[in-house]
Amino acid sequence: MPVSALIAEDEPLLARALQNTLQHCWPELETPRLAANGLQALEMALESLPDVLFLDIRMPGRNGLEVARELAEQWPDRRPFPLVVFVTAYDEHALEAFERAAVDYLLKPVNEERLGKTVQRLRELLAQRAARSQEQHLEQALAQLRQLVSADSPVPATPPARLEIIRAAVGNRTRLIPVEEVIYFEATDKYVNVVTADGQALIRTSLRELIPQLDPGQFWQIHRGTVVQVRKVEAAVRDEAGKLSLQLHGRPERLAVSRLFAPLFRQM
Amino acid sequence: MISPDTSVPPRLILLLRELARALLPTLLINLMCALAVTYLLRIGDGFYENLQISMCIGLLAMLLINGARLLIWGDDEPNKLGFAVLLAVLAPLAVLLGRVLATLLLGQPIVSLMPEHSDNIIAVMVLTFLVCFGATVFFWNRQKMATLQAHASEVEKHAVLAQLQTLQAQIEPHMLFNTLATLQSLISTDPLQAELMLNQLVQYLRTTLSASRADSCSLQQEFDLIKAYLGLMSLRMGLRLSYTLQLPSHLGRLRLAPMLLQPLVENAIKHGLEPKVDGGNCTVRAAVHNDMLVLSVLDTGVGLPTSVSLNQPPAQKEPVIGMHFGLDNIRERLSTLYGPLAELIITHNVPAGAMAQITIPLKSLKNAHRSGKAGRSPEL
Repeated sequence: MPVSALIAEDEPLLARALQNTLQHCWPELETPRLAANGLQALEMALESLPDVLFLDIRMPGRNGLEVARELAEQWPDRRPFPLVVFVTAYDEHALEAFERAAVDYLLKPVNEERLGKTVQRLRELLAQRAARSQEQHLEQALAQLRQLVSADSPVPATPPARLEIIRAAVGNRTRLIPVEEVIYFEATDKYVNVVTADGQALIRTSLRELIPQLDPGQFWQIHRGTVVQVRKVEAAVRDEAGKLSLQLHGRPERLAVSRLFAPLFRQM
Repeated sequence: MISPDTSVPPRLILLLRELARALLPTLLINLMCALAVTYLLRIGDGFYENLQISMCIGLLAMLLINGARLLIWGDDEPNKLGFAVLLAVLAPLAVLLGRVLATLLLGQPIVSLMPEHSDNIIAVMVLTFLVCFGATVFFWNRQKMATLQAHASEVEKHAVLAQLQTLQAQIEPHMLFNTLATLQSLISTDPLQAELMLNQLVQYLRTTLSASRADSCSLQQEFDLIKAYLGLMSLRMGLRLSYTLQLPSHLGRLRLAPMLLQPLVENAIKHGLEPKVDGGNCTVRAAVHNDMLVLSVLDTGVGLPTSVSLNQPPAQKEPVIGMHFGLDNIRERLSTLYGPLAELIITHNVPAGAMAQITIPLKSLKNAHRSGKAGRSPEL
């Protein structure tokens, strides 16, 4: 059975080298396709739905962890989630996380013998995969990713001060919004949209910078780009396709919960 | 500091400076002597007269001793025995002259200086000698302490600077391993290119390592290092990176501290161009405007983070993170080496990306790296 793969690596010479070495030690593998950055990797993976993914950690657009995480959210149910191998030159922090989450990883420069072992393992996993249900498989991948995600945002040495009041721009005014009035935060391109019962306002920061300043018991991340205040959630609803979304107090719209964060809303 | 333009002989300046420093303690000692003579030894005509005499003797003694010391030994430490002899001669002299002076000031007849009125003169002389001796030892120790302290803080400053420099010159492992990976891939596919890359890597490593030990390098050397680094990076990033280096030939021999410019180029690549999907251009430029050396690193990368100010030191207690630390380190070295007019500014580049600019007055650059001083950093 032919196996398909995608290599995401921003350095063209390294991408081609990995492609060559892989073909050498894994003859049944179709020539892996190459993605030059994180965004392209995401796009190509969703389009070609490969069996195996080699993801460089440091890439422009999206880093390797972000690519894996977004794929887990958007992966269609009809195909098994790919086996992911992370590739990194040097990153003590990431290596530790990989070890803990029992994820496959390769170190650059990639050594053929080591790659051979990885290929061996991937083959075994692909063979087992046929025996297991699709759901089990995705759930395992998600569990690993959850572990990685928490390692992806390093905790600063001194936690930043809790945010009490948000100063947001509305036209040429600055609105002061107490955090407890916020229903949810939503990341847009360069801003974060602050949604309250009576309107919306923009703040010039990233969700990544904002999250450490929020009380984790009060505000939950439910999607890559959404953080919701738990008290404002009325119910979590699962549709026919199995997708989870939240009904809110004070807002008509529903918020999608990604697969990664779905376990937060399991019944007690 | 002594300005080199003044025509006053340096020893006189030394004398005046030491006299000024010793004046207040001397006056205090004189007061105590007058008290002791009046109320403990119970000699003389009363406290007021004794104070006058004591002041005259004390000030004269200080003047004579300091003057003679500087005349004989200069700024060096005096020979101990010689100094004791000097005290033995000058203390009685100060007593005699001081008494004459005080008598004139008090408007008393000179007759009162005759031996029959001066039965306690030996006691006063011995007292003066002892007090002079004690005071000298005290001043000496104080000066020694100050010198030691100044020396210690100087050494400490050098150590910190050297440490900063070593940190700055550290080769980032991520960069090194990625380069080695590229090299590995080239060896089998394109040996010629591999050789070129290996040469650039060797030059980069050699220059970086030697820069961590040198006090200064020429601008040409710094540009060579940057060229080797950008050469490596452009092989790795392929079409995503283009670069331009502009160094007017007459500036190439200018000397400056190593590793001031190179980290800014690494920042431009690491934080500006590598994260950008389409890559871009990096321009490194040296120029002189209004007697200032201006070094600029421009990139067309992703630009500066919105929420952090890179031109201010981080707020206290804030964790020091990668880029900030590098910039603070450069600022610290700029101000220590070239004074307050030397600065580093980070701004937006138009239409996209960031610009880092170092400005150093040519005069302070030349003062800091005069040919005689261009040696190695102190051994630590």
